[in-house]
Amino acid sequence: MARISIELLIYTLVLVLAQVLVFNHICLFGVAVPFVFIFVLLRLPVTLSREWCFTIAFIIGLVIDIFSDTPGMNALSCTLFMALRRPVLRLYVMRDEEITNPCPGSASLGFFTYVKYASTMSLIYCTFIFTIEAFTFLNPLQTALRIVTSALLTSVLLIGIDSLTISRREKRL
Amino acid sequence: MQSLIYFLVKARPWILLVIYIVASLALLFRNNPYQHSVWLTSANAVSSSLYETANGVTSYFKLREINEDLNRRNAMLELEVLSLKNRLRHYSDMEFAINEPVDSSLSRYTFYLAHVINNSINRPDNYLTIDRGELDGIKPEMGVVDCNGIVGIVNVVGPHSARIISFLNSNLRISCKVKGYEQVGSLVWDGKKPDEAILEELPRHAVFNPGDTIVTSGYSTVFPEGVPVGVVLKNLEDYDENFFALRVKLFTDFSTLSTVRIIADNMKEELKRTEKDLQQK
Repeated sequence: MARISIELLIYTLVLVLAQVLVFNHICLFGVAVPFVFIFVLLRLPVTLSREWCFTIAFIIGLVIDIFSDTPGMNALSCTLFMALRRPVLRLYVMRDEEITNPCPGSASLGFFTYVKYASTMSLIYCTFIFTIEAFTFLNPLQTALRIVTSALLTSVLLIGIDSLTISRREKRL
Repeated sequence: MQSLIYFLVKARPWILLVIYIVASLALLFRNNPYQHSVWLTSANAVSSSLYETANGVTSYFKLREINEDLNRRNAMLELEVLSLKNRLRHYSDMEFAINEPVDSSLSRYTFYLAHVINNSINRPDNYLTIDRGELDGIKPEMGVVDCNGIVGIVNVVGPHSARIISFLNSNLRISCKVKGYEQVGSLVWDGKKPDEAILEELPRHAVFNPGDTIVTSGYSTVFPEGVPVGVVLKNLEDYDENFFALRVKLFTDFSTLSTVRIIADNMKEELKRTEKDLQQK
């Protein structure tokens, strides 16, 4: 458990820094924004209690908000996102025994299940964040385009980050 | 009672969820951008020092474009100096401007230099962070310009950093006019392209042509009169029946902002007092 906590803490620091310094400034074709920090939220152990999950999600969202001057936007999206994580995981993984490691990743879920899980969750996150953002400008077509392209970009990056985090030992298994 | 306690214990995660959602909504719907506390913005000590470090590395990447901008601006100013010199010679020949200080209109304003350490252009409400704060003389509601045109208005001030409402923000409207004419409209960003905005509420009798320069009107204490803003692209016919609305190409390139000037109006307090007195009467 201590190893998992340290690992998650390192992921959080690195990915939150990467988000505020690099990825927040990327806007591919003027529409697609990647949200890499949600990798940490996807990776939280399934055995962790709901209270902890919601608290961690809220705090990470708030930190991103403070850095990018979007008060409450990411905090709200992250909290709602976390509330939906378990039902989504349940869609693709019927029984908990199928997960070999409490942290969902391609090593524990299998590659295709992880792709489905990561892309569904990115779509959910992007839907929340861009719908909240769209309160100021009502332009449904532009918002829909931003949701879809950002979700695509985010899922690709999440799968990339996940494959980077698989240790050699896990690969051999 | 016991069952109530049992319920509360069992529903604890969901109660927590509701609390977090309400807290986020409270942050989200605090509409007035001036009410934000420094700690919840990028002007706080931790984020501004982080952005300052990162900016120390990345600022070199934009140097070429900034250099070109400065050269262009320099050429324009040289031309202006030449024309002003000519005019001055003309007036002194007429023995007219001998006792008149040349820059009387500008002595009302003080300029501070600052570096942009964080900036965004891809959201509906964009903000910038600069590396000067209260201890350097920066106060909320001061105007910010760069070498090309307007940038925004100071919003939240920390001791060594400040957050600026970028002009690319739906909360900001700036009073502007077509250069050479007196009819005033308000310039607002429509959230589409970061280099275009719309000049709204321009009276129907206003005169303009595509390519005309838009400048600030000077009707507030934030920007002096005549700060260049952009050029008219075209008239938007179906935008508003009662007023003209013009699409304006902005001079400021928000994607490469680096060094900005903050304008302090030395007459601001006096004007505010006068306006307050008038209201009380």
